[in-house]
Amino acid sequence: MFEQFKNLLVHKLKVSPDLITPEATREDIELDSLAVVELSLMLESELGVTISDDELLEAATVGDMVALMEERGAKI
Amino acid sequence: MAGIDVAVTGIGLVTPGGIGVEPSWARVRSGHSTAAFDPVLESNPVRISCRVPGFDADVLLGARRALRLDPFVRFALVAAREALADAGLDPHTWDGARVGVVLGNGDGGPGTVEAQHRVLLHNGPGRVSPLLLPMQLPNMLAGQAAIEFGATGPNLVVSTACASGTTAVGVARDLLALDRCDVVLTGGSESMITPLAMAGFAQMGALSRREDDPTVASRPFDADRDGFVAGEGAGILVLERLQDARARGATVRGRIVGYGASADAHHMTSPHPRGAGIESAVRAALADAGAGVGDVQHVNAHGTSTPLNDLAEAAMLKRTLTGDPLVTSTKGVTGHLLGAAGAVEAVLTVLTVEHGLVPPTANLTNPDPGIDIKVADSETPMPIDLALSNSCGFGGQNAVLAIAAA
Repeated sequence: MFEQFKNLLVHKLKVSPDLITPEATREDIELDSLAVVELSLMLESELGVTISDDELLEAATVGDMVALMEERGAKI
Repeated sequence: MAGIDVAVTGIGLVTPGGIGVEPSWARVRSGHSTAAFDPVLESNPVRISCRVPGFDADVLLGARRALRLDPFVRFALVAAREALADAGLDPHTWDGARVGVVLGNGDGGPGTVEAQHRVLLHNGPGRVSPLLLPMQLPNMLAGQAAIEFGATGPNLVVSTACASGTTAVGVARDLLALDRCDVVLTGGSESMITPLAMAGFAQMGALSRREDDPTVASRPFDADRDGFVAGEGAGILVLERLQDARARGATVRGRIVGYGASADAHHMTSPHPRGAGIESAVRAALADAGAGVGDVQHVNAHGTSTPLNDLAEAAMLKRTLTGDPLVTSTKGVTGHLLGAAGAVEAVLTVLTVEHGLVPPTANLTNPDPGIDIKVADSETPMPIDLALSNSCGFGGQNAVLAIAAA
C-alpha cells in the first residue's frame, strides 16, 4: 500500500521519491492544502479509496495516510 | 512623464521562433514564418497556429513547479529568468520591496479552464481540481513571478487584449517615473491556442484560412492577407531609471522614452476605420518622448494581417508621421501573440534599434496598393534613433511605446 501511495505522489503530484518515507510529514513532502485536495481526489479516482482532504490534513505523516488507506480497504 | 529616461537593461523571449532572445531574433530576421498545422486544432474550422517549439516545462522549470502553472505563466517565468540574467540582477540580493512586476495578458489560462470544464461535465463538480482558479486567473502571471523572484513591490497584470504587453511596459515606465519602484519586471505572456478560444476567433472571421500553405498565411500589409495566425509565448523586459542603471554599471540595451495610450470608443472588435485611436496613442507617445512627428525612423506595426487593421494602421502612419519611417510587422514570422504581442514586439524593437537592423515583413509578395507606407520586405540595415512599437486591442484599446537607442 505504501508503494502505491508513493507512486501516486511521485507520478501525479511530482513529489521527489527521495522525500517519501513513512515518517515524512506533509511539510517534508511539500503538500500544501491544495495538494491535499488533489491527493484526496486522486485516491478516489486512481485507487478507489474515499478519504476526505480534512482527514488527510489530520494525518501527521505519510505512514498515517497509508494507515487510513488500509482502513478503508483500498482496491489493489 | 516627459523627460523620464527609462533603461531596458534585460530582455527575455519565448516565441514561436524559439526559446530565448537569440533564436527568436534570428528567426524574425530570417523572414520565415513559424506557422504550421496544429494537431490540437484538428477539429477546428482553422487548424494552423504558431507554437513555441520544444518547450519542455518539466525540464525548464522543474516538474513539481510546472504542474501548478498554466502555460501562459510557464512562458513568462522562463523569459523572465533570461531577462534578469541579461540584466545582471540577482533576486537573492536585491531589495524586493523596490522591485515591481507589471505584466500583460489577455485571457489567462483558457486551456486549464477547458480541461476542467470537461471534468465538470463528465465527473461532476466534486472532481474539479482545486488548482483550477489559481492556475487560470490572469493575475497569477505577476503573482507567480513575485514568488519566483522575491519581488514584493507593486504587482499587477494589465489586460487590454492585444495591446496588453505594450500597456504593461507603459505602466511599468510610469511606476519608475513615480519612484514607486527601482526595478520593474515587465512584458506579457499568452497561451490561448485552445480549441474553444480559436473557435471564437474563427467564428468572428479574424483568422487566416490559408491552410493549404500555413507558412504564407500571416502576410501583413500584403494585398492577399486574409486574417491573423495565432501565436503563443512571452516577452519580458527589465526596466530601471537610466541614471540607476548607469550607476550600477548595467548594460543598457535601449531606452523606453515615451508611452501613449488611448481608446477608439468605436466598436468591440473593429478598429476605427481611419485609425483615429491609434493616432492619438502615437501622438501621446511622441509627446511623452519630447519628439516630433518627423523624428521616427522605424515602426514595428501592430500589423496583424487582417484586412481592416493593416489598412487603418497604414493610413494612420501615412497621415501622422512625416519622416517616411520604415515599417515592419514581425507578426509575419511569429504570428499574433495576442496579449503577449506588444511585449515581444517591444523586445524586438529594442533589438532592431540596438543592431540597426529592421527585420523583414514575411510574405509581403504583393503589397496592397491601398497601403501607401514604406514596408520592409527584406532585412534592412539602418541607424535608428527613435522607433515606435504599436499595439491595438479588441475593445478599441491602443498603446504605443517610443523606443530609443542606448
